[in-house]
Amino acid sequence: MTGSGIATVARQEFRLRIRAGRWRLLLASWFGVLLLFTGLLRAAVGGYNDNDITDKGVVLYGGLMLFVLGLALLVVPALAAQSVNGDRERGTLATLQVTRLTAADIALGKFAAAWGTALVFLALTLPLVAYAITQKGVPLSRTLVVTLVLAALLGTVCAVSLALSAVLSRTTTSGVLAYLAVFALTLGTLITFGLVTAMTTETYTQTYSNACPTDLPADLPDAQRAEILAQCGQPQTSTSSRARTDRTWWLLAPNPFVVLADAAPRLPEETAEQRRAREEREARGEYQQSARDLDPLGSIGNAVRDLRRPPADDNTGGGTAVLSSRVEERKPVWPYGLAFDVLLGAGALLLTTRRLRTPARNLPKGQRVA
Amino acid sequence: MTDTLEHAGSGIVATGVRRAFGDVEAVRGIDLTAAPAEVTALVGPNGAGKTTLLLVLATLLVPDAGHVRVAGYDPVHEPDEVRARMGWSPDVFGLYDNLTATEYLTFVGEAYRLGRARARSRAAELLEQIRLPEYADRPVHTMSRGQKQRLGMARALVHDPEVLLLDEPASGLDPRSRVELRELLRALARSGTAVVVSSHLLGDLEELADRVVFVDGGATVGEHRLDQLPTSTAARPWRLRALDTDKLVKALARQGYDADPPTPAGVDVWLVSDEAAAELIAALVRDGVPVVACQPLGGALEAAYLELTT
Ligand SMILES: Nc1ncnc2c1ncn2[C@@H]1O[C@H](COP(=O)(O)OP(=O)(O)OP(=O)(O)O)[C@@H](O)[C@H]1O
Ligand SMILES: [Mg+2]
Repeated sequence: MTGSGIATVARQEFRLRIRAGRWRLLLASWFGVLLLFTGLLRAAVGGYNDNDITDKGVVLYGGLMLFVLGLALLVVPALAAQSVNGDRERGTLATLQVTRLTAADIALGKFAAAWGTALVFLALTLPLVAYAITQKGVPLSRTLVVTLVLAALLGTVCAVSLALSAVLSRTTTSGVLAYLAVFALTLGTLITFGLVTAMTTETYTQTYSNACPTDLPADLPDAQRAEILAQCGQPQTSTSSRARTDRTWWLLAPNPFVVLADAAPRLPEETAEQRRAREEREARGEYQQSARDLDPLGSIGNAVRDLRRPPADDNTGGGTAVLSSRVEERKPVWPYGLAFDVLLGAGALLLTTRRLRTPARNLPKGQRVA
Repeated sequence: MTDTLEHAGSGIVATGVRRAFGDVEAVRGIDLTAAPAEVTALVGPNGAGKTTLLLVLATLLVPDAGHVRVAGYDPVHEPDEVRARMGWSPDVFGLYDNLTATEYLTFVGEAYRLGRARARSRAAELLEQIRLPEYADRPVHTMSRGQKQRLGMARALVHDPEVLLLDEPASGLDPRSRVELRELLRALARSGTAVVVSSHLLGDLEELADRVVFVDGGATVGEHRLDQLPTSTAARPWRLRALDTDKLVKALARQGYDADPPTPAGVDVWLVSDEAAAELIAALVRDGVPVVACQPLGGALEAAYLELTT
């Protein structure tokens, strides 16, 4: 494996792609759809008057990035899903394999070309991202992390599609399976999580006691008073059921949307100054909704982190104090998901390389080398 | 291309090569040696295992058994050494769409690690050599089949290999291109390249090859120098032409020869040897038949082929 070998293959693939497709049309429609989405989203967060929501950038940026991910998941599988078996079908693979390019050169070169194309699509969203940032509230760290994670996720999709094209001999089969793989990562993880979580449902017994009321109305009939006093102070048990998502949250972790949303750094806490300004406005009767409550990335992220928490067994009728202390215990989910996805991609590249290695000992049934 | 033995490589040595695909035994014991500075023909019926053998030699397939050395290296364990010294052109191959011939050959040169500048100059050189310089800047997918075949030939020569494996390189070529291909391969052999050509065009091979390896049913059935082909004992056709075909036919019938019905090209007679032919001519001349030609149909190679293969 050499850098120049990979570069040779990647450059060639890139050139063929550019000449083969109607790229201008494809890129233009990609940008057009995103522009339309951003426009509509901006109008939606505009509210009755434009001051209803502070930091609209948070909503715009988060919504846009989730939408970009969704749209990219529709486009990117097609970039690599016929790369190897298409060459084999056209009869150009074997002549490449007898050159001094190694199997890894070919695999990584093809991957680089597909991923590079995916990143071109991503780069095209930059003007819209820049616009979202001008709408205030998006921390720089968030844009950096989200961009990197998005790039990594698209890399995974490219690598998996490429591996499918190397393993399967028919281009139509690998094309369909690449989309099925994306489906498995997105809706599949969600469905599996739902079904498996349902199986973890357990009944649990809660013990609680009510303090005896000291201010019972004087005119309460004695019978009732006696009944209440008999029950209070005694431990009572109640049985109910709950789903143990703390045992199944990891099923959701590889989901690209979960990874992206949870990896996005949370918005900074409201500073004392901001708080004072807000309270002053509220005193004047001007209420503004904070983007913090509408943050699409943060709220998905927090939701999955909440799934990860074990239920509190000492459920003593939890008040707000208990809940907020437990917010601190939210542990991130995205490192697991991202690690899984990146390893999946790396494994796919390894498999592709193995399938491209020559001389070949075993051929898939009915496949000729040349 | 100089006509000197500038690099005396070690050609190809393959003995007892076997390769099966599932339960199809495509190759079951082929021996082939190809010396540097020689053209070795690989001849055999369809499905004999020629392409499979060439794939083994071209570092694409692992043989199930056998000893193989290409340019002195083992294609299974030292494929990169072999690839640096071996050129291969498959029987059917694809070209990339939307690429000019120069871009294509330059890409192949880079894949052989020639470096960009060297690859580009080599591409121009080769396009000149295969008589397609006008295609330098035209897309390859508009080329005719024969032109593509020639480009495929150039492809295999990009890195100046010392061993050249060609699978049916002449199929689809016009007569002039076939002559040129022959000349090109002879020139390569003179400069020291070990050339292996699989082909069904026995007439071409007869003027091209130094040696011939016959394969049938996945095994070598004969390996000969072309000037030492086994003489056949079976009758082979000779074609006779006379100024008066009627007279010729009657004379043949009178003398009890086994002749095919006359065609515009002449009358074919089955004879067992050159001596028999000489005898026949003498007899016809004695009979007063104005004979103008008597020549064996199909070369010695074809005769040997028909004898050795089923
Ligand atoms: N990948 C494969 N899978 C199964 N069978 C194969 C495969 N490749 C070749 N064969 C079989 O092996 C035998 C030899 O095939 P091969 O292509 O080597 O013949 P060939 O001598 O090149 O024939 P031709 O003159 O027609 O080109 C044939 O019976 C063929 O069907
Ligand atoms: Mg063949």
